[in-house]
Amino acid sequence: MEYHPLPQPDEIEIRVREDAMGAYFMMFATTAMGLPLPILNLVAAVIYFYVNRDKGKFVQFHTLQSLYSQIPVTLLNSGLVVWTIVNFVRDYDFTSFYWGYLIMCATAGLLYFIFSLVGAVRARKGMFYYFVFFGKVAYHQVYRIRHDRNSRITENRPPSI
Amino acid sequence: MQRSILRDLLILLGVFALIWLLASLFNYPEDPQLLSVEKEEKLGKAYVDLILLNPMFEELDNERIDSAVNVIGDRLKKGLHASDYQYSFMVFDSEMINAFTVPGGNILISSGLIGFCDTPEQLAAVIAHEMGHVEERHVISRLIKELGLDILTSGDQYVLGEVTGMLSSSKFDRKQEEAADLFASELLEHSHIEPRTLATFFRKLENETDNELMKHFEIISTHPNFSSRIRNVLSYQPDADFEALPMDLDWAAVRSGL
Repeated sequence: MEYHPLPQPDEIEIRVREDAMGAYFMMFATTAMGLPLPILNLVAAVIYFYVNRDKGKFVQFHTLQSLYSQIPVTLLNSGLVVWTIVNFVRDYDFTSFYWGYLIMCATAGLLYFIFSLVGAVRARKGMFYYFVFFGKVAYHQVYRIRHDRNSRITENRPPSI
Repeated sequence: MQRSILRDLLILLGVFALIWLLASLFNYPEDPQLLSVEKEEKLGKAYVDLILLNPMFEELDNERIDSAVNVIGDRLKKGLHASDYQYSFMVFDSEMINAFTVPGGNILISSGLIGFCDTPEQLAAVIAHEMGHVEERHVISRLIKELGLDILTSGDQYVLGEVTGMLSSSKFDRKQEEAADLFASELLEHSHIEPRTLATFFRKLENETDNELMKHFEIISTHPNFSSRIRNVLSYQPDADFEALPMDLDWAAVRSGL
């Protein structure tokens, strides 16, 4: 598998760096806004990605990394909201599994926050920062060299005798 | 690259599954820790005084029955090796089949329940179950959850009146009922009473669930259902050297005095 070469910090313009940093900070804002309905964050993240996708691979990478890491956090938080509502409505117990899940969600949220903060600072400096799993997925998706099917040379050959 | 991505994903999933599992194993303290046993006993005394003023819960003046209940209570208290509570058992005159726990280790038993029990061991099983709610602090936990600590400890007479109403028709959740059943099984064993008597009593109740006289009895909680509770109690295995000792009571004579 081949990948495009990575740009070095001095090759990346300030404006591009700021757009890349914005992907992480935008997540904080939408997370705060969408706390009661965590799915809103994801919608905002997708919109941000599509708005900024033409601003170069560096911005694309950071935006995609931020978006991908947002997905499991959103799903976990949505699960927590549903579980809590069901417990209240049906008068179910708040079992130790529930509290365990809540702690897991809090841990995921905290890690997301810390990683995003570091990611934002690095992006502002024109650097790459790879989240566990999501960083590799985003890099693979953005920097992989895709061979265009139409560019293949069609060659006519005689029949095998 | 793709293999490395897959490995990272598995690590991530494993770490979070482990966090969930470990965090679920932790025994989370409940709110009643906020109220000391001494304060709970003080509150309980005020509730008992108010409950007994209610004509529906008039204290039964019958020496033979009081004595029988105390014989059973003493046997259970001996089986309970250590407790923060000073238990007190009271019988009120009511045809309703009911027993309930008031904070501070006060257990109120209706004369109807005594008449309903075929043996003193069955009554001991019910009392042991109620003691389970006391030791696990289920009653005070429920009151704190529903009213809040500030209102509960305000000393307001109106609040006290409301609480007494709540206590006589308490409902506990599945986890609490199971904990009280397990506690009762262990206590009965330590008191040399056959622990599976509780299952016999549940079966008897199950056959009469339509009985209007037991509609306030907390033991008939809808969750967990009787079949599951009977199964749990029957699966309790006393130690190999367990020996059931008979109650020194003429139960027929006790019941005839009602």
